[in-house]
Amino acid sequence: MNFIRDNMAPLMFAGMIVFMLFGYPAAFCLAATGLFFGFIGIEFGLIQPDFLGNLTYQLYGIISNDLLLAIPFFTFMGAILERCGLAEDLLDSIGQLFGPVRGGLSYAVIFVGAILGAITGTVAASVIAMGVISIPAMTRNGYSIRHTMGVIAASGTITQLIPPSLVLVVLADQLGRSVGDMYAGAIGPSIIQVVLFVIWVAIVSVLWPKDVPALPIEARTLKGWALWAKCLRGIIPSLGLIFLVLGTIFLGLATPTEAGAMGAVGALALAAFNRTLTGPLVYQGMATTMRITAMVVYILIGARTFSLVFQGVGGKVWIEQMLTSLPGGQIGFLVFVNLFIFVIAFFLDFFEIAFIIIPLLAPAADKLGIDLIWFGVLICSNIQTSFMHPPFGFALFYLRGIAPPSVKTTDIYWGAIPWVFLQLILVAIVIFWPSSVTYWIEKGTGTDPSKVNIEIQLPDMPPPLDLK
Amino acid sequence: MRGLLKFSRIVDEINAQFGVVANWLVLFACVISAANAAVRYGINGILALAAEFPLLHILAAAIAWYGSNANAFLELQWYMFTGMVLLGGPYTLKMNEHVRVDLFYGMVSDRARIWIDIIGGLLFLLPICIILIYFTWPWFLESYRLGEQSNNAGGLLRWPVKLILPVGFGLMALQGVSEIIKRVAALEHVIEDEFKYEKPLQ
Repeated sequence: MNFIRDNMAPLMFAGMIVFMLFGYPAAFCLAATGLFFGFIGIEFGLIQPDFLGNLTYQLYGIISNDLLLAIPFFTFMGAILERCGLAEDLLDSIGQLFGPVRGGLSYAVIFVGAILGAITGTVAASVIAMGVISIPAMTRNGYSIRHTMGVIAASGTITQLIPPSLVLVVLADQLGRSVGDMYAGAIGPSIIQVVLFVIWVAIVSVLWPKDVPALPIEARTLKGWALWAKCLRGIIPSLGLIFLVLGTIFLGLATPTEAGAMGAVGALALAAFNRTLTGPLVYQGMATTMRITAMVVYILIGARTFSLVFQGVGGKVWIEQMLTSLPGGQIGFLVFVNLFIFVIAFFLDFFEIAFIIIPLLAPAADKLGIDLIWFGVLICSNIQTSFMHPPFGFALFYLRGIAPPSVKTTDIYWGAIPWVFLQLILVAIVIFWPSSVTYWIEKGTGTDPSKVNIEIQLPDMPPPLDLK
Repeated sequence: MRGLLKFSRIVDEINAQFGVVANWLVLFACVISAANAAVRYGINGILALAAEFPLLHILAAAIAWYGSNANAFLELQWYMFTGMVLLGGPYTLKMNEHVRVDLFYGMVSDRARIWIDIIGGLLFLLPICIILIYFTWPWFLESYRLGEQSNNAGGLLRWPVKLILPVGFGLMALQGVSEIIKRVAALEHVIEDEFKYEKPLQ
């Protein structure tokens, strides 16, 4: 009996894993773990009987949290953008622009992925919109299936790293930092990630030129002014939307939530402009948005129930002691945490990680003197892989949903792997080069200068050449 | 069994209707939030315009009315959010779109999945809903009895949003019962299996 009382927190953590593996919807498994161990805790006198009454305040905190409203708004915006024709315009024109170069269509996908990422905050919208257009275009022009699948999945997934990303909003909320700083911090890593992707396509086009042929002359239907006009027709509304969402946040004109709402209204306007706005499209968007929002917030309700009791039985202290005593200080902690998240992302989706795992890690990170913005952006870079690694990655699911049956599922999986490595390279860069994050954050906006003075580790330089 | 299935169908229908309400709340909340931001920063421009053109005086009046109700509109956003989640949650359960950890769930037979849902419904979902109603109902009553107002000037009454919580958990409990009935019926082959699960897309 004493054993149970002394090890309540580890037991509860193990219990959570067992309950979740049972396979019932995660929200209820989490809440059930919380209540089950809550009653045991009361039985053992670890927590007071009226302690569970705090649940009401937790619930109230969830529903009155303005930031969480960004979830439906960004999801709705994505659902509209996915079908409003913007991605088609962009890919079609930019594909022709880059087409003559080897790997040109891949560069176009990466570029358009980055633009869509800067407009919207949800991965599904990007991957689906780009996949529908690009898979036929790329396979028709002789691009290898695996490369096609990989580049689309990765370029769509980058959406969740590039502001205004929903993932960053939720992480900012869980870490208690401002969304604006979080967005600013993600700018650097986003650029690095795009550059890494471009470099990889360049490498492929040198090593395996048959995988990424240049467009033949017949396929280039637009030339000169007509081509530029078409490019502009895609890019100008994109820039408008980027300003509407990101611009208003960075200028401090709107909260992230309001920016999301304005973006959604802007997407509706754009769809109307492109004559793709129909009643069923809007209603479908509303319906998927509602169900995703309900699903996510129920997970949060479950997670709060769990963490309330977990805290009550001393779980936070247990986790903190365990994590702060890891060898290697900050770097040891970060490497461990990132490996942990990489592995756990095979089983949990992003929202579960954000609501269950992040609140446990954040206090320890703070105690080790880690800047939480940097930490959040790092986690965000890492979570990208959870959308990409086979067999559970969401981006791969979406691709499977829209790829023609002739594409084998194994091709999608194999195609994704090089890109997962590119994402891991980004994680390593962000760990060892913190100023890639902090450089973009305005001074005096919540970053403690004493915490960002981490030495920049340059790669070892080769010895100077002897030219004699 | 037939009577129970009828009950289950009625519950499904009720929650489908609440689902429709929740769908519309998405659009309304979105429009209100965008308008809040737009009016807040466009306000001076609109007032200047209204001063120039006599016909636009009505705009100035509208802005003044908005100004004295601004907090109400801000609060209306998260009232609608609450509605979206709690009134839409049960319908999401009906559509089987609450995300699962499907490591084992994805591997076992259809029959085993039905059992998982029955056991989970009885041991997880129903007790949770009952306990959450137990906590939130008196909390709503208290707020209603006091006629609790928002702390913000011109804010809304608090009890309606507090009422949504126990009502939402109540609907969720009903939907849970309905799902259990349908699965028991499926085990006895009274109805065909209709519980396809796909990970919800994000």
